[in-house]
Amino acid sequence: MIALIVILLPIAAGFALYAVPDAHGRTSKIIGTAVAAATLLMTAAQPHAEFSMRWLSRPFTASLHFGATPVSIWIVLLLALCTTCAILATNVPRRRNFIAQMLLLEGAMMGLFLARDLMAFALFWDLMLLPVFFVLVNWGEHTATAWRYFLYNFAGGLTLLLATAAFGILYGSTDVIGRADVHIVGAWVPWIFAGFAFAFLIKTPVWPLHTWMPPTYSDMPSPMVAVVSSVQSKAGLYGLIVIGMAFMPDYLRAYSGAFIVLGVVSLLYGAFVALTQNDAKRIVAYSSLSHLGLIVLAIASFNPIALKGAIVYIVAHGLFSAALFLIIGYVEDREGTRSLARLGGLGAVNPRLAGAFTIAVLAALGLPGLAGFAGEIVILTGVFQAGYVWPTILALVPIVLASAYMLRLFQDVMNGPAVEDVPVRRDLTWLEGIAIAPLLLALVLVGVNPHALTVFDPAPYSVAASSQGVVR
Amino acid sequence: MMHHVMGVSGYYPYLVALWLLPLVGAIVIWAFGPQLKSTAGPLGTAVIGGSFIGTLLSWSSATQNGGTAAALGAHQALFSWIPGFDFGLLLDPLSLLWALIITGVGFLIHMYSIGYMDGDKAFARFFAYMNFFVFAMLTLVLSDNFLGLLTGWGLVGLASYFLIGFWFFKPSAVAAARKAFVLNVVGDVGIMLAIFMIVASVHSIGFGDAFAFAGSFSSGWLFAICVLLFIGAAAKSAQVPLHTWLPDAMEGPTPVSALIHAATMVTAGVYLIARCAPLWSQNLNAQELVGTIGGLTALLGAILGTSQWDIKRILAYSTMSQIGYMIMGVGVGAYEGGVAHFFTHAFFKAQLFLASGLIIHALANEQDVRRMGGLRTKMPLAFAAMLTGVLAISGIPGFSGFFSKDQVIFGVLEHGHPWLYALGIVTAGITAYYMCRMLFLTFFGAYRGGVDPAQLGIRHSELAGSAESDDGAHGHAHAPAFWMNVPVAILIVPSVLAGWLMFGGSTSPWARFFAAQFPAEHLAAPAIGEGLTGIVTFAVVLVGMGVAWSRYGNAYATENAVERLRAESVHMPAVLANAFYFDAALDAIFVRSSQLFGTVFGRVVDPHIIDGGVREAAFSAQWLGSLMRSFQTGFLRAYAFILVFGVACFVVYYAAIAGGAR
Amino acid sequence: MMNAPAVPLVDYITLSSVIFFIGVAGVVVRRNPLIMLMSIELMFNAANLLFMAFSRAWLQNEGHVFAFLVITVAAAEAAIALAIVVTVFRTAKNVDVDDVAMMKG
Repeated sequence: MIALIVILLPIAAGFALYAVPDAHGRTSKIIGTAVAAATLLMTAAQPHAEFSMRWLSRPFTASLHFGATPVSIWIVLLLALCTTCAILATNVPRRRNFIAQMLLLEGAMMGLFLARDLMAFALFWDLMLLPVFFVLVNWGEHTATAWRYFLYNFAGGLTLLLATAAFGILYGSTDVIGRADVHIVGAWVPWIFAGFAFAFLIKTPVWPLHTWMPPTYSDMPSPMVAVVSSVQSKAGLYGLIVIGMAFMPDYLRAYSGAFIVLGVVSLLYGAFVALTQNDAKRIVAYSSLSHLGLIVLAIASFNPIALKGAIVYIVAHGLFSAALFLIIGYVEDREGTRSLARLGGLGAVNPRLAGAFTIAVLAALGLPGLAGFAGEIVILTGVFQAGYVWPTILALVPIVLASAYMLRLFQDVMNGPAVEDVPVRRDLTWLEGIAIAPLLLALVLVGVNPHALTVFDPAPYSVAASSQGVVR
Repeated sequence: MMHHVMGVSGYYPYLVALWLLPLVGAIVIWAFGPQLKSTAGPLGTAVIGGSFIGTLLSWSSATQNGGTAAALGAHQALFSWIPGFDFGLLLDPLSLLWALIITGVGFLIHMYSIGYMDGDKAFARFFAYMNFFVFAMLTLVLSDNFLGLLTGWGLVGLASYFLIGFWFFKPSAVAAARKAFVLNVVGDVGIMLAIFMIVASVHSIGFGDAFAFAGSFSSGWLFAICVLLFIGAAAKSAQVPLHTWLPDAMEGPTPVSALIHAATMVTAGVYLIARCAPLWSQNLNAQELVGTIGGLTALLGAILGTSQWDIKRILAYSTMSQIGYMIMGVGVGAYEGGVAHFFTHAFFKAQLFLASGLIIHALANEQDVRRMGGLRTKMPLAFAAMLTGVLAISGIPGFSGFFSKDQVIFGVLEHGHPWLYALGIVTAGITAYYMCRMLFLTFFGAYRGGVDPAQLGIRHSELAGSAESDDGAHGHAHAPAFWMNVPVAILIVPSVLAGWLMFGGSTSPWARFFAAQFPAEHLAAPAIGEGLTGIVTFAVVLVGMGVAWSRYGNAYATENAVERLRAESVHMPAVLANAFYFDAALDAIFVRSSQLFGTVFGRVVDPHIIDGGVREAAFSAQWLGSLMRSFQTGFLRAYAFILVFGVACFVVYYAAIAGGAR
Repeated sequence: MMNAPAVPLVDYITLSSVIFFIGVAGVVVRRNPLIMLMSIELMFNAANLLFMAFSRAWLQNEGHVFAFLVITVAAAEAAIALAIVVTVFRTAKNVDVDDVAMMKG
């Protein structure tokens, strides 16, 4: 039952919030934070809760079946944590409506990551696009960005739905997520695989399907983009593991060369572009393209160590990208700009903000001892062990580039002499500090001890995959 | 698979304590900096002192049970980071030596910093960073596995970044910090790849496993591992061509230069190679390559040292050159010699830097030796410290540098590298020359602080770089405090005497201490004996000193110092002034090309090619729509006709074609 | 049980086809919407005839059900269509379907 409540509670609260009269947005912030924190506590208290109800029996059986898989449990916790922090950090006009949309987004994504049924997965996949679309329309800088986001991702949603229906007809049931004993074979399977993969690669995104992402990330208010970049971007990767790798391993293996190329190109491409951007949010957006490419590489390598690393890195990237976007949001709130050319020297007047930014930046550039490094090194150990020598070598280049662009981002905002037309503003308030602290603490904890995250045992997936034999 | 652990496994609480104490200190000072105020300095210093005592105690507790640990080392298992990646601490003679220098010299430099950083707005933050550095460096040397070493490797890079950019309002310090960090990440990445290769072949990150199976690696595989590890070592230890960050790193406060960029962190590469001696010993190609690069770095650093005017940059290039010696030694297999030079260098180079700090402090942040001179009488302690340091680094017999440098140079010859041997001797002469040049310019003749900079040939851009190097906290000349004088005075003792530990060949205390760590090899005795080598080297050193005396030290030179310095500044060859164009080359090859890629991808590929493709798709959808529009005539009967026609087509297909085929 | 049908099934099919194609011709050829509606009714009834014939031949009652459904739908459709025709007549003063082409794409 808890599994259903954590989905429905944020959605219900989101709709209900529209009825709350709240001119300053203070009440809605309290309600929003409380609801998000409640979902966090519930998922943390009962991570193995499940709920199942018959939904369709023809033409294939489908259930409203929800419950975390070993892969998704960490993503669900990440989602609840990020939403709580982001709502706490929210500082936008028409705050009540914004927080309502944040809650709707949380509910939809809860549904996606808890879904054990492909139909429910596809349903929530499309639902989670809507709050982002509405926020882009109402709070974004250009409506075109909203449409671009929507069209790209809805195109993916469409192929996902078609593939799901075809899967159901072929297998007879869609109540399969989390199972490792389901393999579909047949002439249609390449098309089903392609339908899923297209949706997943757009959502992640992977080069060259990424051009919706930088404008989306830079246009959206920071609290929402923190959640979208940290959790929504993982939907595709999660799907690749629990759907692509679990049910159609032969095809994922057959096309792993293509996935590895796409992953490596994304890695390099994102890193190079991030070097030269001037908008702080775009730097982080392109760095996300780079970092997520690494996870694609890990999944395509089919190596158990790399898969463990992928889980660690999914969580790590979620934490540091959320922290980075929230901090850039703080900077933008203060200075009214996020152009590196117009910022500088904030560290002297805002030491606490600079300290928080330092940790987030260091985690993002893969400093040993923080979460990003743990993910990177475990993934690349596995990828190398799987025999992909050149992809590993190419994947090391962005690590150097990441240190360059992340330090550039940090130093151009915080260091150097103060820019003269930037007025002196107050340092991090305690509320802003509380909003960011859990993310930073988690970055350190995961970095020092990633052991807990590797409880996920990818053996069923990768062993099942290898027992099927390699189709080339 | 059975795991091979180096050292005697056991429970060593002192070892864990000495490792974690500086971290606790760093966190406490960082968190309570505003409350601690000026007590942060003594507190940070005491923490490092405690760690030093912990090092001594853990070694004595390790050697208590039968002395086996003395030969093999003490091993303390810690925790499993992820399954299969086990972390632990290892204290063997090699890591003990480093730990003693890190905490011992670190203690003195912390003490010195209390005086040097007095009055700085971020006094507490400085000590938090320094304590953090000590923790990171201890992680590096005490780790029992490659991943822990890499963790320490990255964290010392971070501490170095923080401390180079300590005065973060200075654009030059910010740029230097970023450059140091990025260049060091290049090295980290090399080590990462080496770790992947090791894990792929032995399924473990432990040193013990890697070394136990090193013999089963193919020659090419082992060579690749060694080269990749050496990329890490080269970046950290400022070896050609990854050395360009080290001179810039002098933007940090002088105690930082002394501790991180002279005594400890930059020697991490030497430690890495000495630690991986079982790998290097089995691959002659790697030895040849690393030895050659070390020798080249020693020579290049020395040549560049002759052309610098900033007192800290002179010392920086001399550090680079001396580390070149160490790398050359450990690279070719003369591990004891390379490590010995690290040991003595830590003392005399820290002393040289601290003495230069005394001068910089007293002269209101003046770092240009052209504007010094005649300080011998005004600052007798600084002069004494600098003089003994110069004699030690030049290798005057009796001083520490003589013994260790001799071990390196002769060791290189023993291992069959006569060219590197010659290079080492020549470099010793150049070293003596530029160190004496610095000494004479600083302490002899008349004080030139009042001379117009233009008369000394100082360009305006150079002036701007050195004068503003502080936030004005100690913008006036004043006598160094007690805290600064004591460490300098203490350091004179080991920098003179430490070398005697190596006296006595294979029966010296040094050789016996490392006997188990670096098993003796049976090498053919070279044609030139050790005694003769010492004499030849000493002769070359005297020549270097003599040249320096004739150019800067004698009465004639000191009287005409202003004109001579002006002439030398103006006629400085461009190739030296630009440090052999390494910076420009790295910039053009790597930085510019990366930025070019980024610009092309971000400004051309994304908006025009990829989005252009998306736009084309949108246009073709429009075109398809207008094609379909033409069927929407609006005539009801036309629709009806099309409908009927379509039905007819189906009927014909199924009745005639598909039915006929059956 | 009923007796076997006296009239052969093929005759029903022939008649139904003839009626259906008369309807088709009416829709495609005539321009008066009322005639077109009646032609559509003819097609419906052709289909109904087939339903009844097959229902009888195979002794299954679904055909009757469908016939009732078709009659109902046809009635509803005729009502809506006549309403549209009346509205068009009021605005255009004319009931030629070729003149009503404002839905052109």
